Amino acid sequence: MIYYTILFYVFAVLAVATAFYVVFAKNVIHSAFALFGTLFAVAGLFVLLNADFIAITQIMVYVGGILVLMIFGVMLTTKIADIDIHTKNLNRIPAILFSTGITVILIFILFTTKWNIKPQVQNQETVSQIGKLMLTTYLLPFEIASIVLLVALVGSAMYARKTK
Amino acid sequence: MEQTIISLKNFIPECVLIVTILVCLLADLIVRKKSAVVAVIGIAGLFVSGWFVIGQFGVKESVFFGMVVIDPYSVFFKLLFIVSTVFIILFSLASKEIKDSTHTNEHVYLMISLTLGANLMASSVNMLMMYLALETVSITSYVLAGYMKKSKRSSEAAMKYVIYGAASSGIMIYAMSLLYGYTGSMNIFEISSILSKMGGTNPMLVIVMVMILAGFGYKISSVPFHFWTPDVYEGAPIPVTGFLAVTSSAAGFAVLIRFFSVTFLKSTTMLNGSLQIIDGIRWTEIIIVLSVASMIIGNFVAVWQMSFKRLLAYSSIAQGGYIMLGLVVANQQGLTAIFVYLVAYMIMNLGAFYALIMISNKLNSDDINDMKGFAYRAPAVAVGMGIFMFALSGIPATVGFVGKFYLFSALIESNMIWLALVGMMNSVVSLFFYIKVLKYMFLSKPDEENSGKIYYGIAGYVLLFILVIPTLLLGIYFGPIVRFAEMSAVMFGLK
Amino acid sequence: MTKYFLLVTLLPLFGFLINILFGKRINSEKFSGYLSSFLVFVPFFITFLVFLDFISVPPESRKIVLNYFNWIAAGKLSINYSFVLDPLSITMVMVVTGIGFLIHVYSIGYMHGDESFARFFSYLNLFIFAMLNLVLADNFLLVFLGWEGVGLCSYLLIGFWSEKKFTGDAAKKAFIVNRIGDFGFMTAMFLIFANFGTLEISGFLGNIAGMPVNSVLLTAIALLFFLGATGKSAQIPLFVWLPDAMAGPTPVSALIHAATMVTAGIYLIARTSVLYALSPTASQIVLIVGILTALISATIALKQNDIKKILAYSTISQLGFMFIALGTMSYGVAIFHLITHAFFKALMFLGSGSVIHAMHDEQDIRNMGGLKNKMKITYITFLVGAFAISGIPPLSGFFSKDEILYQTFINAGILPYIIVLFTAALTAFYMFRLTGLTFFGKARYDENKVHPHESPRTMTIPLIILGILSAVGGFIGLPHFTGLPNYLERWLEPVFTNANRVIQLYKPEGHHAVSVEILLLILSVLVAAGVIYFAFKKFSKQERFEKEKGFGKILENKYYLDEIYDKSVVEPVQNTSEFFLWKIFDVKIIDGFVNGISFYVSRLSIDWRKIQTGIIQDYATITIAGVVLIILYFIFA
Repeated sequence: MIYYTILFYVFAVLAVATAFYVVFAKNVIHSAFALFGTLFAVAGLFVLLNADFIAITQIMVYVGGILVLMIFGVMLTTKIADIDIHTKNLNRIPAILFSTGITVILIFILFTTKWNIKPQVQNQETVSQIGKLMLTTYLLPFEIASIVLLVALVGSAMYARKTK
Repeated sequence: MEQTIISLKNFIPECVLIVTILVCLLADLIVRKKSAVVAVIGIAGLFVSGWFVIGQFGVKESVFFGMVVIDPYSVFFKLLFIVSTVFIILFSLASKEIKDSTHTNEHVYLMISLTLGANLMASSVNMLMMYLALETVSITSYVLAGYMKKSKRSSEAAMKYVIYGAASSGIMIYAMSLLYGYTGSMNIFEISSILSKMGGTNPMLVIVMVMILAGFGYKISSVPFHFWTPDVYEGAPIPVTGFLAVTSSAAGFAVLIRFFSVTFLKSTTMLNGSLQIIDGIRWTEIIIVLSVASMIIGNFVAVWQMSFKRLLAYSSIAQGGYIMLGLVVANQQGLTAIFVYLVAYMIMNLGAFYALIMISNKLNSDDINDMKGFAYRAPAVAVGMGIFMFALSGIPATVGFVGKFYLFSALIESNMIWLALVGMMNSVVSLFFYIKVLKYMFLSKPDEENSGKIYYGIAGYVLLFILVIPTLLLGIYFGPIVRFAEMSAVMFGLK
Repeated sequence: MTKYFLLVTLLPLFGFLINILFGKRINSEKFSGYLSSFLVFVPFFITFLVFLDFISVPPESRKIVLNYFNWIAAGKLSINYSFVLDPLSITMVMVVTGIGFLIHVYSIGYMHGDESFARFFSYLNLFIFAMLNLVLADNFLLVFLGWEGVGLCSYLLIGFWSEKKFTGDAAKKAFIVNRIGDFGFMTAMFLIFANFGTLEISGFLGNIAGMPVNSVLLTAIALLFFLGATGKSAQIPLFVWLPDAMAGPTPVSALIHAATMVTAGIYLIARTSVLYALSPTASQIVLIVGILTALISATIALKQNDIKKILAYSTISQLGFMFIALGTMSYGVAIFHLITHAFFKALMFLGSGSVIHAMHDEQDIRNMGGLKNKMKITYITFLVGAFAISGIPPLSGFFSKDEILYQTFINAGILPYIIVLFTAALTAFYMFRLTGLTFFGKARYDENKVHPHESPRTMTIPLIILGILSAVGGFIGLPHFTGLPNYLERWLEPVFTNANRVIQLYKPEGHHAVSVEILLLILSVLVAAGVIYFAFKKFSKQERFEKEKGFGKILENKYYLDEIYDKSVVEPVQNTSEFFLWKIFDVKIIDGFVNGISFYVSRLSIDWRKIQTGIIQDYATITIAGVVLIILYFIFA
């Protein structure tokens, strides 16, 4: 169990640290690579939750697909790698104040609430269950998600098309 | 399997919308240029869907494994959305901004997708479904807001909207995950009964509520989640702005009202009319705060706006505040008042936006300064705009007054007289800026160089007339909409 | 006749629709003008027939409620579109349509050649429609609808000549001041609905009849209605809009701002007389406001030089007289004065319109003089009006005003009586200053350029009719000591029976010797005659005008009221808000109380607008701040 805890903290710290880097890096390429670390660490957390299928999907879709696409996009865009992007922070003090405020509040409730914790289930096969749920209980969200994707596709095609 | 088929039978209106989207998309690929054909197909699809929605009146059914319900409440909203989408598509045919954009006919099926999302928002009873429906509406709105690709303002609006929307829905879904963690369910009826059983106060629930409000509040442009509104309204093409003001925010109300009145009211007392808030969750107080803030900020800031679109943005922030007043009452009467107000709001806002489209088509501007003496150049349009402005400010004999009247009387019957007073004082303030527009149009002479008469095609006048008639008629004879609202307000008895 | 009574309101509405939709296309002044006038005359005729029906039945059955359709039905609220016919509403309808008809006819001549002729008549007809709804309605909501409708028409008509630079501002001022009044009206309505569950006037009055005198609720409702009345009927503190409203065409001033719309407040209080009878406190306030308004506006009128402004202040002052009558709970007397005032003030406004017409839009009486030979009919009728308003027997104003003086004396005491008598003397003074400077003496205008002439017949005939009415109208309400019947009092009696019964509960009938009444009468006639002689002597020959000094200057500047509103309301607000501000922006010159509020609103608006920077980081910060603050509030509260 101790290994489990250690692993959890490793992934958690990795996720948070790289996320910080994504936000604060001044170079887009660096940001993109840092994002890789974040997504990977989150996949690790899924594994620890026995959600193996989601973990693999996370890696395949986000890391293998979306992130690579992003890096390609960045690299193919001329000179974007060299631009020193504007990351000046406005309202530093109020922002820090209120973000800290909301963090404190959230931490406070995390520790004080009596959560509805389900007993841990050991190594069940998840793929077939997910498949069943997708076609029964979650059929509608599944289908509506495809509409959302269709809209997003139409939208991006519309923006990408050459202006006459 | 069997349940899926039964569910599909109750899902025909949405299926029709999906088919319409696809047919429009294909038609667009075939036509490949600007054409009214796609819009006609879209409108036809909306009519068919609307016909099926009317058929659902009186049905009470939970479909797709407790994801959505068909009840009078959702039917009311679906009809509202479908009607307003028909109008908005007609507006987009008239709008020069849309005509001048480089795209072909994407806006038609994007708008129908938004309607689909809005319909789902009105009927979802599951947090997952609510979120997904909200995202459908949001993503479509982002695309539509940036529809004028050549305009920097439009692109900027879309970008701001995306960032703001992402942040807000991020806050909301985090809170939803907390609620799920606490109750172990995503169905709001189940959550309600679990919370009712638990009893005792819990600060966590208050926090969850406020954070969920951030997500819904941004859809309805409630203060302090309203910041995107003026910028996006200003940047987006006017038909889209109108669409956001009417459909998108009404959908926000649909989901907000259902979520709060189901989740945080005691499920046992819901059927006999007297509603009881679950102990320790004083959500009506939060709504009061947001509502008063929205009215005050919306109305006061609007006074100084010289851009008509921004003015309407603040006006719809304030109108959202009025609608929330009805939610504070949290009973059948309050809900009826909200429904009446929503119908009024739809009619007069559609009218105002259409009149604005007519004006800015010819002036190429939405600056109120440029509308000096417009009444001398196009009297019919100016008078139409005048009527809509009076309606928005709630002057009697217009539909706007009816809406306000029902809201305030619901408040007074629940002994919340001071809130009604705040609302009334705000409607006095709102008069300043609504009248200001008219002052420019009617009481100042047009500049020398552009004082020529402006003419529109007959179709333009007909559409304006179609919107003016209900604004006035329903202001005097409003029995029908009130009865419709009363029938639709029967709700939430369904598990 | 009551079967066709709906026509009374429908015909003017019909006229409005015809003129607004087709008036421009038909483009015939004759058609628009005569049609509109006809559609106002027919309602008068119908009402007159109803009136004849009514006097043939016993007083107790002189009340009919005509229910047309169920207008609103939702929950507890059920409101019918229904009219109430009783002596009070019939009287009002006859005044509105009768004088309205004469003014319509007059306008045919006055507006001749105006490019928006049809539009003008459409607004007039719409006004008549709204006003009739107001006086006939059987529930407060319908009254309110008419109340707003007449306000809207007034707004449209004040701003009718929008090319004149100040008409727009005047229209806006009128509109916004009235909204403040409406706020009172609406709140009163809500209070009534919340406490009595009905908005029906007769139902409400029936409900309160048994309530204790001076209860807080009734006083509050009465005062809120009175706030509404001060807006519409131009009383302190909301009277500032009426003088500015004179920017509209003169027939409008006569119809709306003298004879009919401004009396809506008086009508409202008379209609709810039981309410005011039950609240002596509210009545006392009505009395005080009435006295102050009458006095102050009469003194302002002394030094004004614009012919219409003088009449406007005079109207405010006379409305004050009516409120005095209401304050002394003599409701019938108030209606009596309302009627006679409608005659002679409409007459004088139309006369002034005739003068302005003849003088080519000159309104300054210092530039007139000697018109009596040039325009005989106008001169004679105007003189009748001036004598009537000054209270010279046996003209109409004499009877109604003396009745008010008498009621003030017996119900309010000696000091109020002296003030009111003084005000009446002032009235005679400024009226004869006006008459003297306008019609007597030598011509002070350039006789080569301006050739005054008598107005066309469509204008003079209404003047003559109104002149006759002003002269003999007083005989409908003769004082008691004459021993002759007081027709008006007897006619109106059933309406005020309940109120009088309530008053008798706490106030024993005062007995004053007939000799007192006669004495007061002689006193007031002597005062009026003396003042008239003095004023006439002074002003009929005056040729030079010096700059006003001292108190005269204060009066000429209307007590600097606009400026005082500026200093007392606008500037403190400004200073305090500047204290909180980081930036000062250029202050425009603000005129009046109303602009003060709008200024304050826009000031806040400007500051709050700064939050909207357009930078998304700012938005995010404020949003999160909002979330955190709300959470903290609910955790700690």
